[in-house]
Amino acid sequence: MSAVKTPLWQRALTHGILILVTLVTLYPVLLVIGISLRPGDQLYSTSLRLIPEGASFHSYYVILFQKPFLLWLKNSLIVSLSVTLIGVALAATSGYAFSRYRFPGHRISLTSFLLTQMFPATMLLLPLYLLLQKVHLLNSLWGLMVVYVTTALPFCVWTMKGYYDSIPRDLEEAALIDGLGPLGAFLRIVLPLSLPALTITALFSFMAAWSEFIVARVILTKADLFTLPLGLEALAGTFQTEWANYAAGSILVSIPVVILFLLLNRFLVSGLTLGGVKG
Amino acid sequence: MKQKWTRILPVLAAVLPLLAGCGGGSGKAQGPTEITIWEQRDPQEKGVMEKVLADYEAQHPDVKVSLVHYDTENLRTQYQTAALANGGPDLVYGPSDQVGPFSVLEIIRPMDEFLPGEDWSRFLPAALDTLDGHVWSLPDQVGNHLNLLYNTEVVAKPPETFDEWVEIARKAMTTGADGRTERYGLAFEFNEPFWLVPFLTAYGGWVMDDANRPTLDTPAMVKALTFVNDLREKYRVVPRECNYQLMDTMFKTGKAAMIINGPWSFGDYKKAGVPFALARIPRATPGGPWAAPMIGTKGYSVNVNLDKSKEGAIRDLLHYLTSEKVTARFATELAILPSVRAAYDLPGIKNDALLQASLEQWKVGRRMPVVPEMRAIWDAMRPQMQSVMNGSKSPEDAARDMQKDALDKIADMNR
Amino acid sequence: MNRRSVPLAYALVLPSILVMLAVVAYPFLYNFRIAFSNMSLRHFRNPEFIGLANFVELFSSSALYVVLLKTVIWTGVNVLAHVSLGVGLAVVLNRPIRGQWLYRALLIIPWAIPQYISALTWRGMFNYEYGAVNLWLMKFGLPQVAWLSNAHAAFAAAIITNIWLGFPFMMVIALGGLQSIPHELYEVASIDGANWWNRLRHVTLPLLKPVLVPAVVLGTIWTFNNLNVIWLVTDGGKPADKSHILVTYVYKAAFTLYRYGYAAAFSLVIFLILLVFVVFYMRLSRGTESVY
Repeated sequence: MSAVKTPLWQRALTHGILILVTLVTLYPVLLVIGISLRPGDQLYSTSLRLIPEGASFHSYYVILFQKPFLLWLKNSLIVSLSVTLIGVALAATSGYAFSRYRFPGHRISLTSFLLTQMFPATMLLLPLYLLLQKVHLLNSLWGLMVVYVTTALPFCVWTMKGYYDSIPRDLEEAALIDGLGPLGAFLRIVLPLSLPALTITALFSFMAAWSEFIVARVILTKADLFTLPLGLEALAGTFQTEWANYAAGSILVSIPVVILFLLLNRFLVSGLTLGGVKG
Repeated sequence: MKQKWTRILPVLAAVLPLLAGCGGGSGKAQGPTEITIWEQRDPQEKGVMEKVLADYEAQHPDVKVSLVHYDTENLRTQYQTAALANGGPDLVYGPSDQVGPFSVLEIIRPMDEFLPGEDWSRFLPAALDTLDGHVWSLPDQVGNHLNLLYNTEVVAKPPETFDEWVEIARKAMTTGADGRTERYGLAFEFNEPFWLVPFLTAYGGWVMDDANRPTLDTPAMVKALTFVNDLREKYRVVPRECNYQLMDTMFKTGKAAMIINGPWSFGDYKKAGVPFALARIPRATPGGPWAAPMIGTKGYSVNVNLDKSKEGAIRDLLHYLTSEKVTARFATELAILPSVRAAYDLPGIKNDALLQASLEQWKVGRRMPVVPEMRAIWDAMRPQMQSVMNGSKSPEDAARDMQKDALDKIADMNR
Repeated sequence: MNRRSVPLAYALVLPSILVMLAVVAYPFLYNFRIAFSNMSLRHFRNPEFIGLANFVELFSSSALYVVLLKTVIWTGVNVLAHVSLGVGLAVVLNRPIRGQWLYRALLIIPWAIPQYISALTWRGMFNYEYGAVNLWLMKFGLPQVAWLSNAHAAFAAAIITNIWLGFPFMMVIALGGLQSIPHELYEVASIDGANWWNRLRHVTLPLLKPVLVPAVVLGTIWTFNNLNVIWLVTDGGKPADKSHILVTYVYKAAFTLYRYGYAAAFSLVIFLILLVFVVFYMRLSRGTESVY
């Protein structure tokens, strides 16, 4: 790293901009917290006050203990974590194949991953329902997982492939000369260097499953299978909605995502991967 | 450190999906009959429904009823998807206009065939909507109609004519220290045609004729659109932009002296402690017709895919849910009008001021058409009404375009 | 590579492809079939084949082209903003500054929080009299905007909301991609006299390409087809059905008027538009080739 310390004015400017951007970004979130604290289920507020009159944590209590929040949480965790693990595994391997091997059909299959994303989702719901019904995957977390993995794969495969592409092949060739087979080279050399991409893939797969409700709503119609987004949706009415509870639930639902990010953040810090390897 | 993860992760990957097998899914014992109802009741109503069902299950230990909640539009699309794929719930509960498309798509059974020995006279006549000669839903409430709600601490006597209305609204307005309006006289959802109907009827108009053809290009429509726009532009008694959520918030915070809302919200305002009373939406002129909001019903329909073995249990449940005791319970707790005649004789109902006021409004209401064409009409009215409200179209042009659009859409839908 | 590893390649790739095809093929073919039929309210169980009639109707409606233009603008502005903000923030947050982890964690919250409530909250923020946006504008002495009752402003409101929702994702991608750029390259560039802008242009961006390209391509596709945000912020195309993009327009056709055949045809056209874009873009950036 450079031995010269960045001048104070530059550091102050950087922090100033970051703080401004962060505050603007968080403002709507503060409003959501306000809704969760406000008694009386009001989505809108008529003043700029962030902490409403009569603020209380009652809605958090209701959501956690009077609604089957923990059941929803369990279902969501099972689905999201499975999708993440399976997604990362499939993407890490297929991406590598696409990056390193030029086999017949290589371009077409890569492009076909993209094709699956292009069709507007709304029209796919009815046939998807019919399909899952035929294979008895309706009202099953398995069915949901299969669909989510399908949704997440294109991005994950492409990202892994892109990242692998930026890793020079001499490293694997050196490994092969050293006696490791291709699989060994992949597992021992390439994979550890790809941690940032694996992080992106993991986060994306997790989010794709954690916050999805459109497909979940079609597939899961039994209340004891509901995932968190569906559980929250059940609080929404046509006219009147339990806004405070909904907002509280939304805040709670965001926390695991932030925690996951913080756990994976270490892989997004420089010095760990290629930058630190003498190339 | 890394070594440990490479060992654990594959195990996790194998085990986690297996957990998905437990909880939910099959494992159905030959025990209680399970009945599923998909509904769209707002939170307060749903709460009462759950209590009512708990009582039923206590009396019938061999039956278990579960509710799945969706909001109205999603309920319609969900039910359609499921029922068309030969699945879905046993019963679907919703407003009367959903039976139009459902019956055409043949995904609900005619109620008069499902309950052959039913005494239909026990219901209010207005509670039974027929389509193609059949009754398709068994109603437990009537109304679903708009009323005028006013904050009793601000408005002493509700208005009876449009002029009085503007007058009272103006008087109820207050200005804050910063010069901005603190409290508005009136707030309502003026982007949705459902809220336009009372104004339309006050001027003598209606949405369709007896042959289900739209009748939107009328002087009554022009007058209605003009008045609604004037409320904001000329009289300035309503906020600049207002939608359902804002109206709701404003009433709960005392920022609106009067609003126009329906029975689905009364329970919520009671809970929020808003001091309110109901009145009829005023007439346009003294001696003219009262504003007639659309009145409908909400009821249960039976899925065509219903398992024959459950029919007996379902019939029993339906009778329970539409009994005078149960419908009266919704009435006393939430000021929702029962569909059953006998309920009105119960003392709790007779003496309930809110209910009686709602009934008064209901009496001058007009039945909402349940034919599928109504959807096309709503869809045609909506954008034109919004164009008038944002100043980009005159009421005359809007009325004319509404009519044309409705005819086009009906033609498209019936192709 | 050598011939021996080709089967290995297939073995690695096949599971992914199979899963995808299994789930996507049937719905796609189903839509392909009904696009040429008159499936609707009155013809649901037994739709009839009507050839290209749906497509003819589609292409001859003037509304299509306006909505298509709007969709292109929607997509272009959003993706450009997402990438600029995302890459910009990632570059700043890749430096060793104090509280780096905290800034990062806070800035991904828009991605973490459920879209339904955040989009509705934004909708509330855009209310003329009571919304936070206008209230803050007023504090700074700026004129208030009738965000949601004016067609163009409503469109802008939806775009602003979507930018807020989407930039964290790009930021995370860029952060990941930045890790693969060796420090030596930056040092060499600095020694050669390059300032921050040149370093960005000649070192960072080119080397971010392999990771950014999938994100941009897929981001474009997802934004193009994003139903939720527009629907929630403009409450279904308000005012007056003037805030539609292609997918919300299709949604209305299908689910309000039950014109499934028409909607399927329309969806196929959307698919083809995106296909053309992707093929074109891939040729342009030669994205299937590696960087070195």
